[in-house]
Amino acid sequence: MTPRRFRHVRQRLAFGLLFLGFALALVPLVWVIGSVLRLGLPGLDPEFLLTPMSGGGTAGGVAGQIQGTLILLATAFVLCAPCALATALWIGALAPAGGRVRVVGEHGLHILNAMPSILFGLFVMFVWVRTWGFGKSWLAGGAALAMMMLPTTTLAVLERFRSTPGEQLDAAAGLGFSRARVVTAVMLPRAWIGLVTGSLLGLARAAGETAPILFTAVIFSGAGFPDGVRESPVLALPYHIFVMAQDVHHPDAAARIWSSALLLVLIGSLLSLAVFPLRLRLYASNPGF
Amino acid sequence: MRFGRRADPAAPLHVWAALGLLAPLLWALAMPLTFLWQSLPAWRHQGLDLVAGAQWFYRAERFGAASMIFGTAAVSLIAIALAAPLGLAAAVSVHSCLRGRAGLMVKALMELLAGVPSVVYGLLGVMMLRTWMYGLLQPLDPISGDSLLTAGVLLAVMILPTLATLADDVLRSADARPALAARGLGLTRSETLFSVTLPGAARGLWAAVLIALGRALGETIAVFLVVGRQDNQPLRLSSLIEPGQTLTSKLGGSEIHIAAGDSLHWSALMALAVILLAISLLTTFLGLRLAGRRP
Repeated sequence: MTPRRFRHVRQRLAFGLLFLGFALALVPLVWVIGSVLRLGLPGLDPEFLLTPMSGGGTAGGVAGQIQGTLILLATAFVLCAPCALATALWIGALAPAGGRVRVVGEHGLHILNAMPSILFGLFVMFVWVRTWGFGKSWLAGGAALAMMMLPTTTLAVLERFRSTPGEQLDAAAGLGFSRARVVTAVMLPRAWIGLVTGSLLGLARAAGETAPILFTAVIFSGAGFPDGVRESPVLALPYHIFVMAQDVHHPDAAARIWSSALLLVLIGSLLSLAVFPLRLRLYASNPGF
Repeated sequence: MRFGRRADPAAPLHVWAALGLLAPLLWALAMPLTFLWQSLPAWRHQGLDLVAGAQWFYRAERFGAASMIFGTAAVSLIAIALAAPLGLAAAVSVHSCLRGRAGLMVKALMELLAGVPSVVYGLLGVMMLRTWMYGLLQPLDPISGDSLLTAGVLLAVMILPTLATLADDVLRSADARPALAARGLGLTRSETLFSVTLPGAARGLWAAVLIALGRALGETIAVFLVVGRQDNQPLRLSSLIEPGQTLTSKLGGSEIHIAAGDSLHWSALMALAVILLAISLLTTFLGLRLAGRRP
């Protein structure tokens, strides 16, 4: 075989193997999406979304679970956003550039981002549910989810700060602004879009999380709109699927679990696709984000 | 004098920012410290056997996490061993053959799959995968379809899109000029890929693998549903096809409620949280170092 022919064959072989891997990688992905769509789509109609569950999950819809999930997400957003903004302000704007606060802060955020979510659940259970005596409460669950979202949201705001045009900073400095004034006049207006998109990204993950709310906020049935803070659990879509997957073997229930799963996937993908362009930009400065 | 006294309208910013920072900072410090503090009685009771001992009988006050550490390691190593080659192959294929719009479409699809909640993967595991695994392993006469292997395979499916999208990020942000130069020197596309692009991106790709591994280590719900949750599986290879227990499936299980009235038992569970936290920290730390962010 001539060297040239050899290189040609080798190239074919290499790409053949690569494509084989790619094709094999597609199999489980098709399985996941295909199964959820095939089994979940028939039962996913307006009635399913708007009626409350009955018969222990064998009849009715998931209106209560949707309501509970929305309460948890709204709580998490309200708790997380101000903290994320403040954290980003310190790490990315007020602390001296290239200083220790920035380096340690960003590493801390990456490490928190990778923390197993069950740990947030356990921590909140110990502090809120037990020590402070809240019992299972939507507020405690929202707090656990907020902790999980915080790094994502903060990193998104930091990214906005980092991409502030230098001319604007120079102009502000030329006007004799104090450091704090530069931040409020030039950098803070840029933060909002990062805060919104970062929060959406975080909420997309939080919407499907079961582990942080497992011990802190949710029960399977019998919770309406909470009328207080203490001992006021909610229902939630992911927990609903979690319990039904283990305990319910009724055929009527199976179709409903799959529809719930599809609904959860749809909620998550809508939130995350809305901020897909940002996700691409974020990576540039946050490897492994 | 009058100018000097006029308040800077932005001056309270530091105060507000400090107030807002307080909660996350307190939490980030309090979480590991709380776990450590709560686990102290168990360390005192059991010493290093808490990590090295393979016996967990809470009624007899014997707490050894070794078989759960084994379970966590087995499940996540199976997952990464299956997902890494496929995920990397997918990312490299997409990177080298799909440009522009088509590449972005595939990327968006991977993102979408990476965002599928773990409880949905768990559901797929319960309803389908464990039956398939039971059938597949018939020659070995397994007890049930729930096993460490099933959990590992399910996790592989779960982290595959994450891994692929992270690896794609690495390749996307890599410097394209050396590859162009190599092509200009007459190297074929595969030679360029294997001798220029991939070596250049190797650290980033390893970091992506470690981050995916970290996700597998910390996953609770999907594992919980298919791992069998059987305590004290022996530390040997054949345990892989038997029901087992991981750190997370133990922490996510009902023993947390049983332990509420027993401070030593609770403390031992908190020690599991400390071990999980330590493993997760170590993985992330390594991943960050490889990604070029030196802590």
